[in-house]
Amino acid sequence: MTLKMISFFANHSVFRNLFSGLFLLLAGSCSRIDHKQSALDPKGLVSQNQYDVFMLSVWITIFLFCTVGGCLLYVLWRYRAKNAEEAKEIPPQSHGSSFIETGLIIASSIILVILAVPTLQGIVLLNRVPDANDSESLEKLGLDRSQIDGAITVNVTGKRFFWVFEYPQFGIVTANELVFPATKAVRINLRTEDVIHSFWVPKLAGKMDLMPGQENFMWFIADQKKIMGESDAATAMPAVHDGTMRSKVFAKQKFTDEFEPVGGLFYGQCAEFCGNSHAYMSFRALAQTDEDFDQWVKRFQNAQNPNLQTKSYDPQTSYIKNSYVSFADNKLGAGANREYRSVRKTSPGQSPQVAPGAWEKAHSDDYEKGKQLFSSLQCVQCHAVNRTGLGAKGPNLTLYGLRTSLAAGWMRNDEESLSKWLKNSNEIKFGNLMWNGEGIDDRHPLRNLQDDDEKVNQLIAYLLGQS
Amino acid sequence: MATESIKYLAPDTENKAKTQVFPRPGQHTTGLIDWLTTIDHKKIGLMYGMTALFFLIVGGLEALLIRSQLWDHNMDVLTNRQYNQMFTMHGTTMVFLVIMPLSAAFFNYLMPLQIGARDVAFPRMNALSLWCFIGGGLILNLSWFFTGGSPAIGWFGYAPLTDTRFAEVVGDMGPDFWIFSLQILGVASLLASFNFITTIINMRAPGMTMMRLPVFTWMTLIVSFLIILAFPAITIALVELMFDRTYGTNFYDFLEGGKPHLWQHLFWIFGHPEVYILILPAMGIVSEVIPVFSRKPLFGYGLIVFSGAIIGFMGFAVWSHHMFTTGMGVVATSAFAMLTMLIAIPTGVKIFNWIGTMWGGRIRFDTPMLFALGFITMFMIGGFTGIMHSSVPIDAQHQDSYFVVAHFHYVLIGGALFGLFCGFYFWLPKMTGRMLNEKLGKFVFTLMFLGFNLTFFPMHYLGMIGQPRRTHTYNEGHGFETWNQIATIGAFILGVGIVIGIYQFVSAFFNKKLKPAGSNPWDARTLEWALSSPVKEYNFARTPIIKAKDQAWENNYGPRENHAEKEPLDDHGVHMPDRSWWPLVTALGLFGLAIGMLFHRNIDPSGELVRDYTAPILAGSVAVIGMIMWALEGPGGYHLFPKENDE
Repeated sequence: MTLKMISFFANHSVFRNLFSGLFLLLAGSCSRIDHKQSALDPKGLVSQNQYDVFMLSVWITIFLFCTVGGCLLYVLWRYRAKNAEEAKEIPPQSHGSSFIETGLIIASSIILVILAVPTLQGIVLLNRVPDANDSESLEKLGLDRSQIDGAITVNVTGKRFFWVFEYPQFGIVTANELVFPATKAVRINLRTEDVIHSFWVPKLAGKMDLMPGQENFMWFIADQKKIMGESDAATAMPAVHDGTMRSKVFAKQKFTDEFEPVGGLFYGQCAEFCGNSHAYMSFRALAQTDEDFDQWVKRFQNAQNPNLQTKSYDPQTSYIKNSYVSFADNKLGAGANREYRSVRKTSPGQSPQVAPGAWEKAHSDDYEKGKQLFSSLQCVQCHAVNRTGLGAKGPNLTLYGLRTSLAAGWMRNDEESLSKWLKNSNEIKFGNLMWNGEGIDDRHPLRNLQDDDEKVNQLIAYLLGQS
Repeated sequence: MATESIKYLAPDTENKAKTQVFPRPGQHTTGLIDWLTTIDHKKIGLMYGMTALFFLIVGGLEALLIRSQLWDHNMDVLTNRQYNQMFTMHGTTMVFLVIMPLSAAFFNYLMPLQIGARDVAFPRMNALSLWCFIGGGLILNLSWFFTGGSPAIGWFGYAPLTDTRFAEVVGDMGPDFWIFSLQILGVASLLASFNFITTIINMRAPGMTMMRLPVFTWMTLIVSFLIILAFPAITIALVELMFDRTYGTNFYDFLEGGKPHLWQHLFWIFGHPEVYILILPAMGIVSEVIPVFSRKPLFGYGLIVFSGAIIGFMGFAVWSHHMFTTGMGVVATSAFAMLTMLIAIPTGVKIFNWIGTMWGGRIRFDTPMLFALGFITMFMIGGFTGIMHSSVPIDAQHQDSYFVVAHFHYVLIGGALFGLFCGFYFWLPKMTGRMLNEKLGKFVFTLMFLGFNLTFFPMHYLGMIGQPRRTHTYNEGHGFETWNQIATIGAFILGVGIVIGIYQFVSAFFNKKLKPAGSNPWDARTLEWALSSPVKEYNFARTPIIKAKDQAWENNYGPRENHAEKEPLDDHGVHMPDRSWWPLVTALGLFGLAIGMLFHRNIDPSGELVRDYTAPILAGSVAVIGMIMWALEGPGGYHLFPKENDE
């Protein structure tokens, strides 16, 4: 019965409109409540449940407030002392009625039961992924068995002040942008290596804390229909793996826009105070079609596969077309290497030096110089590129050029922001560890990039070239 | 004053002379020494209240800085660390240095008057409680001036952020100051609570049965029990934390096998009863005010008392609802959710009963009544959002968002602070003998009510659209700006209202132009209104013999058999104890002990850690000597002989 009531309150269009009308009043100028990080715009099964229970509680409390507040107003009006004489009268000194009191206690208990039942159901839902064999509850939840069977697992590690996303099924690691398939359940294992954080992605699943020395669990499953709305999959969930997501997001909106036109882009935030830069610890979650997600995983697996990394040129080997080798190029500096791509099949000994026509530069000069700087400025000490680098101090930067955001979701990942960030990250995120970490002081090369546009541009070419 | 006095000659006068280093300041002490050595519950209550009002301004300024920083996205009013210090200090100050001591001020001043007692059971202990409170407040605020500045750990101080391992400033002393300050404030609260419990149980006037106690006194009793049961939990938690930080133990250090969860359980098993410690006194005040301004007895007195006790009892069974998102598992989470919903019932009962009290009354809308009505409505909103949070799925979204900030400010400002202001407007005529300016009072109420709602109502919405709390700034493009700006404007209006209110309270003591109050200006009901305003230092010239609930009202309007009688005058007079230096000395010793412990570690030139316990041992000795001298100084005192009806 209660379930019916919830769905009645939550789904009945009159109530829905009434409530959004209320918020409209409240929100005045901005008539929408689907802000980027809004819990009022659920796009997943778990968050929808949370929203429904919330709406139920809103209606219960509005009812109570009007009833009790109405009684209060009535009493105040009816029994006000109208003049000085009346204020001196002595009304009957009645002091209670057990009948009324008991009645009110019983009534309030009943109202609480209406909220208690969906609460208990919700607790189970947000703590346990439905059993794939339990077709009855799957049907109730509107899920298909394959959505549970094909669930992916993500190990989320919180660090001050960014997020590590590890996909144990696929052996890949990324940071700050969680890519997930829109139709599959996503199991999230939460861990932390320092203090307590909290993983909050309002549109998908509420939050759960990351407790030191303990692994917590939450899960979510997006609702593809809601993500797509009236558009199609390609518009709502552009592919991440080929950079379409990034370019579409950049093209469609300004960073300062309050609403996200790309339905598949979700905003998340650390919700437990974790130190100086707690406010800056946000993240993104990007929904993908199954196909795009598989492609993205493949790209990442290849990028982070130690056996597929570019090797030095071997004079004994013949290379097929489109092979990558690394070979010395003195133009980049003494002893520096450059990556080459073969434009045709080469036979042994046809090195880029011997047969320049067979090879072309894989990357621009800026990219190669940026790559060197990435080592010489000690970036590599904390950032892993093209390796999983679990336990690294900074965010993993593999395929960084595909990311939409920079600095744990704080800025848009484009040349302009990246340049600002590299020149003085402390100005953007005061107290960030790239600027203030252990052993970094004013002599550190990283703190001396302000006036060095050339180096900064080379680093940008390298970083955004990771795509 | 129509009193004569003689020096009290106790039989042990000779022994006393031997043990006393210097005599207790006697009857004719005045000025500063009088205030430093006083053991009069009324003066102690006033000092408690005035110090707390001072800290209310301090905590309020911190709040305004917080609100200024959140005016727009990426503001630079404060750095992120300063902001984090600000909200830590704001929370700690408001909970421990404002609301609790303001309640304690009313307990101190009124409870003995309401039960017909001469003073509290242990007057010197009462003074020690006051000085410990002031010492603790000082220690907390001294932290601004030492390494790392004030603590930036939140008022909840979640482990392992408090661990030295995760300190963001080398040698950060903020958390240490916080630990020692809370320990000393804990001593203050415990001393006061034992005192109040003993007083209420043992020192009621004849005929003042438990079920004739004014509701405010009942709430004093319940809150005192809550304090003595809840504070040991945080004392232990803080001792463990101090050991972790000072001696490298591993109670909370997960890398060494400690458990951060332990801190949360210990903190909240204190922290949730603490919520009721903050709100029940205000409920007590409102339960006194509403009957007076409706000219009717409290509706369902027994039920209100009983529900207060139930709230206190159940307050110990719901602490984990602060931890719904920490991964406690389905069973524990469900159990705490259900218990939390249950606690809404006794709370609702109180609201029904207040409305029932007004029903059929003759309602006057003087300032105290306005604040009481403000309390009811605002507390109702805070209570309703509280019910929402008891539902775990909702809490999974609301936890640590601005929705929660809105919720507990509705309870603590709209509830507790409105209740306490209501108490000031209601009882200041009794304390000062002067009526406060009604127009100014209503103006203060209007400012506070408007400013408060303007500040905190939009926060519900901000939380729902995703603004997390305890963040020193927010990014552009989330739509947070407009409502944060409205909240900031509201906060300044609220601030102005509170400052005018405080001005009005303080000036009531000095402004001779105000109308004299007379003994019972509101035609109020409870025993303290049978006394003159301001109350004489001996309270009751003759112990009253209580015949009914609402004795002052019964004296005026009740049947003859309900009028209070008085114990006959005898030639013994009223025995007044002498003042004492030792509570102050003992508190100074404890203060020095804490400061000594804070600075006992040094790094010598070779880089070795050196511990020097001289200062703490010396200061500790002062505290011990203070206690010994206290025990030895003897009763002292003098007798006053008030005339027949002089009270």
